[in-house]
Amino acid sequence: MDTFYDAATRVRNKPILKWKEEGRSVVGYTCSYVPAEIFHAADILPIRLRGIETDGMDIGDTYYGPFICSFPKCILQLAGKGMFDFLDGAVITPGCDAMRRLDECWRKAGEDYEGILPSYFYYFDVPHKTEPHGMQWFVKEIRNLIDSVERHFDVRITDEKLKTAIRAYNQGRKLLQTVEDLRSQAEIKVSGTDVFAATVASTVMPRGEFTADLEKWIQSIKQNKPLKNGQKRLMLVGSISDEIDLVELVEKDNHAVVVAENLCFGARYESNQIPENGNPVQALAEHYLGKSVCPRMYGKYKERLGFLKDKIECAGVDGVIMQNIRFCDLHGAENALFERDLEAMGIPCLRIEREYGPLIETGRIKLRINAFLERIS
Amino acid sequence: MRPEMREYNYDWLMGSMLHAASRVSNGTPKETELTYRYIPYFKNVAQSFIGAGEIGIQILKLFDRYYENILTAHERGQKIAASTFCFSPSIFYAMDIVPICMELLTALGNIVWRRGMFDYMDYGVEAGLPETSCSSQRGALGAYFAGLCEPIDFIVCDTPGVCDTNANAFAFTATFLDKPYYALNYPQVLGDDRSQNYHVEDYKELVRFMEAQTGNKLDYDRLGEVLQEVEKQDALIADIEDMHTLKPTPLAPIHNIALYAGKFTFSGNKEYTRLLEMIADSAKKRVKIGASGLKTGDEKLRVYMIYIDHYTLDMNFWNWFDENSVAHMGGMLSHHFRDNIEYTEALEGISYGVDTSSPESMFNSIAQMNARLPMVRSIRGPYDQPNMWLEETLALAKNFRADCLIYNGTPGCRNTWANVKLMVRDLEKHGYPTHIMNDDAFDDRVESWVATRERLEEFFQVRGLL
Amino acid sequence: MSIVAGCDVGSLTSKAVVMKNEKIVGSHIIKSKPRPQDSADAAMAGALSAAGAGPDDIEYCIGTGYGRDKILFVKEARSEISCHGKGARWLLPSVQTVIDIGGQDCKAMKIDGDGNVTRFLANDKCASGTGRFLEVMAKVLNIDIDAMGRFSAKARSPVTLAATCTVWAQADVIKYINSGVALEDIGAGINTAMAQRVAMLVNAVRPEGDILMTGGVAKNVGVVSTLEKLLGRKIKKTRKADPQMAGAIGAALLSMEQLNGNGRKDT
Repeated sequence: MDTFYDAATRVRNKPILKWKEEGRSVVGYTCSYVPAEIFHAADILPIRLRGIETDGMDIGDTYYGPFICSFPKCILQLAGKGMFDFLDGAVITPGCDAMRRLDECWRKAGEDYEGILPSYFYYFDVPHKTEPHGMQWFVKEIRNLIDSVERHFDVRITDEKLKTAIRAYNQGRKLLQTVEDLRSQAEIKVSGTDVFAATVASTVMPRGEFTADLEKWIQSIKQNKPLKNGQKRLMLVGSISDEIDLVELVEKDNHAVVVAENLCFGARYESNQIPENGNPVQALAEHYLGKSVCPRMYGKYKERLGFLKDKIECAGVDGVIMQNIRFCDLHGAENALFERDLEAMGIPCLRIEREYGPLIETGRIKLRINAFLERIS
Repeated sequence: MRPEMREYNYDWLMGSMLHAASRVSNGTPKETELTYRYIPYFKNVAQSFIGAGEIGIQILKLFDRYYENILTAHERGQKIAASTFCFSPSIFYAMDIVPICMELLTALGNIVWRRGMFDYMDYGVEAGLPETSCSSQRGALGAYFAGLCEPIDFIVCDTPGVCDTNANAFAFTATFLDKPYYALNYPQVLGDDRSQNYHVEDYKELVRFMEAQTGNKLDYDRLGEVLQEVEKQDALIADIEDMHTLKPTPLAPIHNIALYAGKFTFSGNKEYTRLLEMIADSAKKRVKIGASGLKTGDEKLRVYMIYIDHYTLDMNFWNWFDENSVAHMGGMLSHHFRDNIEYTEALEGISYGVDTSSPESMFNSIAQMNARLPMVRSIRGPYDQPNMWLEETLALAKNFRADCLIYNGTPGCRNTWANVKLMVRDLEKHGYPTHIMNDDAFDDRVESWVATRERLEEFFQVRGLL
Repeated sequence: MSIVAGCDVGSLTSKAVVMKNEKIVGSHIIKSKPRPQDSADAAMAGALSAAGAGPDDIEYCIGTGYGRDKILFVKEARSEISCHGKGARWLLPSVQTVIDIGGQDCKAMKIDGDGNVTRFLANDKCASGTGRFLEVMAKVLNIDIDAMGRFSAKARSPVTLAATCTVWAQADVIKYINSGVALEDIGAGINTAMAQRVAMLVNAVRPEGDILMTGGVAKNVGVVSTLEKLLGRKIKKTRKADPQMAGAIGAALLSMEQLNGNGRKDT
């Protein structure tokens, strides 16, 4: 568990530094639509870019304008401060408008702060639809990304290597799904904070190491004593979050435990296994775009509501906390719809708008969470 | 929302007001003057339009017709499609569908009503759209959420990949009102074969969707007629833009808004062609005598708006240009990207052509035209990528001989607020003094007009421009 | 004497209420001090003295408000949302919707017949829409808040303000003063801006039944009357006690429930 917490709460964590000491490359990416398997297949460590441990926003605010979500601004701030100097590459995606402009903001900051822009800097154009032409576009994008990684890092990413990578990632997915099953049982043996730490760790640790650690941890969870009785079973959904502190804040005082989530850094697609045979690029495309449940895929609200309902039912959720980072319209609007529909089904919901990570207004958020818990008690 | 707002439907109120306003000038000057007494709130705006002569009156008639179409669509058995400003309505006319451009409806309400669209905007928030979402859709959509309009039948937009807030507002509406929805999705590049093909494939899917909604197949003869009208309109716009480059420009600030408001509402329709002919004729007359289109008759400065304009009460922003002898050189919304125009020739792959020789060529034409409308053309990819926002702005600023540039948007314009500081830095390096307006183009409550004006004047003074 | 108490330490004011048999026997309100404990001590001392009781007489006390976790003499802390719900129900038994505007935030809630909160929303933006907003604006106009409240009835043409940000709104107010706009029109514009922000929040919880406003802003007639127009509903008045005391009253009532064994079992 310590490894997971180290990985989940520190930008420059031990597994990354060890990987670098071995002379191997690390590439950061901004969004869940990037197939990490491509980098794994090239013996490059793929990591999700994060904004934790930010102190101040002088660099983020210099390049970004005023009405922008604090998550990408925190990433830029960390980049500007040299916290990502271990990166050999970065992949930017149009996950949302604020996130995709990290491309320009980082490049322009790179003109002012020497050495902060990785030598490999790539824009990965993910479409917003899964109709055949959208899927075709995405397949080509994946192929282009592979070509570019091969050229820049002087590697060969064969279909065989991709299949091996898919197998490695599937193994991790299967284990994370086991954790999801465990946390959702009537007798809770693991805190939401611990589960989220493990899930976030999965996005920054070398896959082999992560899977091995996770296997051991699952065994230890099974031996755990159940948590205190009578705690409210909550679900956490909404804007991008990799903040262990946020889950911790909900669970503080032992009045509630987070038994499910639907967050960008969390476990969302773990129940899906990517086919290990056949065309690996096609398989990756169908998983990463085709199975995606996030509001940037417009017009799929019903599917997303269905996804939430399944999780709520499966984990016996008493209430749902819906958060959105300020200026995140995608989740802000969707949370309102979720609230409307879930409350109508008798599921209490709490909607909050907040700043990201280190900027979060802890007192204000805690007040609302407490009031919500008092409401559902 | 105040209860009295629920007494009348928003579209009916606006339609009635514009219907009356478009007929005010039919009377004698004395009768006209008398009528103004009965429209105290709308008087200033009506006077601006009517004072602008036949062009202003034609604009009022155009909007009157627009609302009439919406209000009577269902009686006539037509379907109503909710859409957006960066989507060409020509396909709707070709398919006998009545379009609604939400942003235009918000702007009109704002301009003519003393309290603007505040109540509807706030209702949009109460319904669930975030307060930080774009006010341009939120205003009119608020009225739809409250059930105060002729109901829409389906939703079509084209902003995924370009503007999250826009696409999200329409996706939200689809769920909130339980209406069918199709959105075109634009890649991050423009002009290469791969994105051109994507435009066509996506557009084909869109037409299939609309055919399913209306139960009618696309009639290619009708599409051909509409596109031929678009051809005429494009030729007129090219003429007008040519004259706009002259010093002094023969165009008045209000002509810019007429150019694009007409395009957003009646592209491919004869009404818009007539309006363009009037603008072209009046401009030609002024060109002959070397006169400026400004009320003061004196052109001191030329401003190019790198994004959108400002649409709050009484057309304050537009009048400010006129009164200060500042020529409005258009903005991202007003210029068009047909082939064989000076500024598009500098940007390879950015223009479109119209070819009505076969169904396939018509399809390609309309898909590529739609992909080159404002915003979806310029800010789809990184701003400093070839053909994108920076290059486009520089080409236009050069072509229209702008002295300085202004950015204006809404706080909801996440996609430009995320890079406008970089954009402005680059524009300044190219020698253009550039001002960022911090207001909301549709909501005076974000920054009041008093403050906006003061900041504008400060910019012109500090930079030694006026 | 067997009594219960509630103490609400807010950002602008701190309130304490001492109750016996669901009746207020002593209450006190003070301007908050830098340290929450000092505010709580002073407010409670005042309430106890009014009740003619001593600290040892208190059988149960609940703390609420921003400083709730810093009060040493309370048995437990509760969110002010729950407390205001309870307090509002006591102030006006028919109430179903409560609007509470405090110094730093603004909340809209729906409550059931026992005063339990069934749904709530709190403002997530900065000071505009809060008591602090009015306080800052009144200072710029150099008048007291109550007088500003009366401006709404006198104004001919209320101004539009940059209402999403207190600092910008303040700049607007200064500009209007300098350009000679009548103070009534500016004051009314401020009240309207405030009311519009509150109305959005209230409508989003779908108000039902009688509405009661608690917190200090309930005393501003301009905001209240504009809010009534925007909501299309009357906001009920209560003379039972100062609506500003609702949080402390609710805390005292929750103390009583706790004492009677009707409180939360799980925490």
